[in-house]
Amino acid sequence: MFEISALNQRNKKVERLFRTLFLMMVLLLVLPVIVILATLIIKGGPIISFEFLFTSPTDGMTAGGILPALIGTVWLVSVALLVSVPLGVAAAVYLNEYAGNNWFTRVINLAIINLAGVPSIVHALFGVGAFVIFFKFGTSILAASLTLAIMTLPVVIVATRESLAAVPMAFREACWNMGATRWQTIRRVVLPNAVSGILTGVILEVSRTAGETAPIMFTGAAFFLPYLPESIFDQTMALSLHLFVVSTQVPGVPEALPYGVALVLVTMVLIMNSLSIAFRVYLRGKKKW
Amino acid sequence: MYLRKSMSLMGALLAVIATGAEGRTLIQNKGSDTLVNVAQAWAEAYQSVNPDAAVAVSGGGSGTGIAAMINGTVDIANASRKMKDKEIKMADERGHHPVEHIVGFDALAVFIHQDNPADTLTIEQLAQIYGRDGKARKWSDIGITVPGCKDEIVVVSRQNNSGTYAYFREAVLGKEKYRNGTLDMHGSKDVVDLVEKTPCAIGYSGLAYATEHVKMVCVSKDGQACVSPSVETAGNGAYPIARPLMMYTNGEPQGEIKKYMDWIMSDAGQCIILKKGYAPVRPVQCN
Repeated sequence: MFEISALNQRNKKVERLFRTLFLMMVLLLVLPVIVILATLIIKGGPIISFEFLFTSPTDGMTAGGILPALIGTVWLVSVALLVSVPLGVAAAVYLNEYAGNNWFTRVINLAIINLAGVPSIVHALFGVGAFVIFFKFGTSILAASLTLAIMTLPVVIVATRESLAAVPMAFREACWNMGATRWQTIRRVVLPNAVSGILTGVILEVSRTAGETAPIMFTGAAFFLPYLPESIFDQTMALSLHLFVVSTQVPGVPEALPYGVALVLVTMVLIMNSLSIAFRVYLRGKKKW
Repeated sequence: MYLRKSMSLMGALLAVIATGAEGRTLIQNKGSDTLVNVAQAWAEAYQSVNPDAAVAVSGGGSGTGIAAMINGTVDIANASRKMKDKEIKMADERGHHPVEHIVGFDALAVFIHQDNPADTLTIEQLAQIYGRDGKARKWSDIGITVPGCKDEIVVVSRQNNSGTYAYFREAVLGKEKYRNGTLDMHGSKDVVDLVEKTPCAIGYSGLAYATEHVKMVCVSKDGQACVSPSVETAGNGAYPIARPLMMYTNGEPQGEIKKYMDWIMSDAGQCIILKKGYAPVRPVQCN
């Protein structure tokens, strides 16, 4: 019937070639992740112990643990989330559910895109000028977290908008036809159906917030603090800055220490991510479409 | 449902945050990267001396500390250079009045690779290496052959807002600028690490950053006998590249800040700076 033509054979070859090529690219992408994690675990693993996680640094930060930095990062991320999630979700709800397609909406969209493109060190300087000096928060968790919140706001807004837009229009129309108001519809139908997408944004934000160093360096993170932060007006140590400090600023640090700090930071982000992913999977199971 | 739950959760969290405990006096201490490790050691030791006060330490460089003093965001600014008249004027205009306290001395050691045969360098030779108008671009220009190096000198310096950068220029180059093409590192430790691995390199950093893997040169000035950097030669002024380390307070120190400054100047505080490799302000007996 159909002979395998020369052209056909060549096409098949090219097909295989590109398939292999793209597969190689994917493997190349995975490689750095594996190498980074392996290095961290091999070099930093041995130093991780109960004492490392739950005591303060001693001997000029060359020994002891990282508790203040660990707690500090949790503070910074939590307060940043408390500010940016409500703000970001509210903004996204307005943009997706209420705003018309006019010049005002377009200007806001442009502003959000630009905010996402601002380098983190510029956010840091803004944070110093606005929160530390002008609002007189001083160098504190509050100032640092607000800076982080502004920096990660676009992530939350964009992720939330996308998940709101993914809720079928028919859901809203059905709700309106039952006589529900716009707000009732948003609260009872749109938001509950969009939660999993919103969580994606939050996950991305947590990872970025925990890892950032520049925005917190001038606004709230300290080189060394002899106590744990007790309120948002305290300064704090943070894992990311601590990693910078022990790898570049302190002489005589054992080689495993910076790797240990990095391993804890990465593990913390991975745990938070897996928790949210598990929650997302659970919610998706309850999805109605 | 989701919304109501998360809102009440958020409210609870906010309430927890708002009732954070107060009561301990917090001393903000920021500035010089040279002094930051000493400042950290002081803060760490002071915990057991006076539990009523806590010292928060940040680095960033002398410029960072001085800027914070001008803006009034720190209690004590660490600096490895004197505040300029212009800076003191700016602080005064904002109602802050910096008072200088010399808390110790620092000797800037000149580091070379272990395989480098040089033992002594004069200030003039250093100026030839580091200066914009200097003639020494190769080790052979100053009569040295370094094994494992293709003769070109790798000149290691610091980023330009560092107090170490400013002081080395003042002590070695005078008004002259640094040459182009130096490797500007962002920390004293980075300088030493780089010199340790690079046979062609020369660099400078605080004496405290010396390791057994690099060589410190004996420095001579104006044709006099060379002096090796050490805690003694820094404190008695014999070593030509030594400088005072300063802490600035806003006005004469009061209350907890005064207690802290007094403790730093006491034998206990001065022994800590000695242990960190800097020279104390006066001879102290430490165990």
